[in-house]
Amino acid sequence: VTEEDALARLSGAEPGPGETELRARDLEALLFIAERPLSRTEIRGLAGVDRETLDEVLGDLEVDLRDRGIRLVLSEDRVELATAPDAAPLLSRYLGADSFRLSPSALETIAIVAYRQPVTRALIERIRGVDSDHVLRSLLHRRLIVEHSRGEGVGRPIRYATSFEFLERFGITSLDDLPPLEAEVAERLVSDGSEEGSEVEAG
Amino acid sequence: VLSVSLGDLAGAYLEAIGDLTGDRLRHLSAFISVAAQLILIKSRALLPRPPEPPVGREQEPDPETELRERLILYRIHRDAAQRLAARLETGLRLHRREAAAALAAGRAGVSGYVARPLDPDLLPAALAGLIAIAPLPEPEPQLVRRTITLAERTAVLREALRNAPAVVLQDLLEGTRDRVLAAVTFLALLELVKQREVEVEQLIPWGPIECRLVTGPAAS
Repeated sequence: VTEEDALARLSGAEPGPGETELRARDLEALLFIAERPLSRTEIRGLAGVDRETLDEVLGDLEVDLRDRGIRLVLSEDRVELATAPDAAPLLSRYLGADSFRLSPSALETIAIVAYRQPVTRALIERIRGVDSDHVLRSLLHRRLIVEHSRGEGVGRPIRYATSFEFLERFGITSLDDLPPLEAEVAERLVSDGSEEGSEVEAG
Repeated sequence: VLSVSLGDLAGAYLEAIGDLTGDRLRHLSAFISVAAQLILIKSRALLPRPPEPPVGREQEPDPETELRERLILYRIHRDAAQRLAARLETGLRLHRREAAAALAAGRAGVSGYVARPLDPDLLPAALAGLIAIAPLPEPEPQLVRRTITLAERTAVLREALRNAPAVVLQDLLEGTRDRVLAAVTFLALLELVKQREVEVEQLIPWGPIECRLVTGPAAS
């Protein structure tokens, strides 16, 4: 039993008897009233549907919302509704000015986390060539990144990933919408993945 | 790498470090690591190398290739960071529903958008208003010194005995809740007994203490 399953059970998100259908509009309503991002496990537990059905309905809802003022935001296992990026100017007039700046070092670090997540501090520092402890703490404090998991290597280093706050701040509904890296580079990163991973674990 | 002067590079780096405030040790250690790699690369490029690696010895990774790869990797992410910064600059962010905050703001009649900035003088005025309506603090209780003298209580006893042939001490002190007053009255009574002015009688323990003026030769 995973921690998430246990939490879902505690929150009463057990599958209801006979519930095998989930409509996109029901899912939209559920996400509309949820005060936090919901995990797919929670939704499946509430609706009593399997993973494939939920993925299908999420896909339908994403398409339905494409021309609307709200969007489906996906980050790993979690889902939430948020406003569309192009509605931001109007909303910022309602909510007030929201100046948000990041230093070049913070941007470099968050770019590495975004494209290589989950990633350890050792790999970030290897790419940047400088100590990144302070900037990582600053990004954690601003809730742009989260402690995702622990590596398996010596010392079990923390692996960082981006948060929902990151997606919201940068107007991205999914990590798939990140600006693409150069094609050759992307290929190289993929081929380097396993090798680099082992190096990181040791660090 | 042969055209790069490591001395100039170190000088420029130290100059930049000199401008930094706070913990510079981490930056220095990072520089030492990079500089060591550059020195190794440059020395290998300058010095003659054996044409073939010794048989059976594992080929070491080429530091120049490693550094080049690392710099390429850095450049890619730096460019990605610039694209993210450009995206951030547009301000096209997402907003989520924050139910509790929205509800509280709605109840309080708060609007996030303020057309004109508020006058800072409003703050001290508001503080002054708050002070004006705040209730004054309760005065702290004060201890008042009270003096009860034997002379006062003796006079009371004499006055009581002047008007009656006998007085019961308990009756005289009836309604008195002040222990000090009772104690001083009792001491005054003892003083009058000592001076043979009054005689007392108590038939049973804790019973009434009856007091009478002494008459006859003892009184003189």
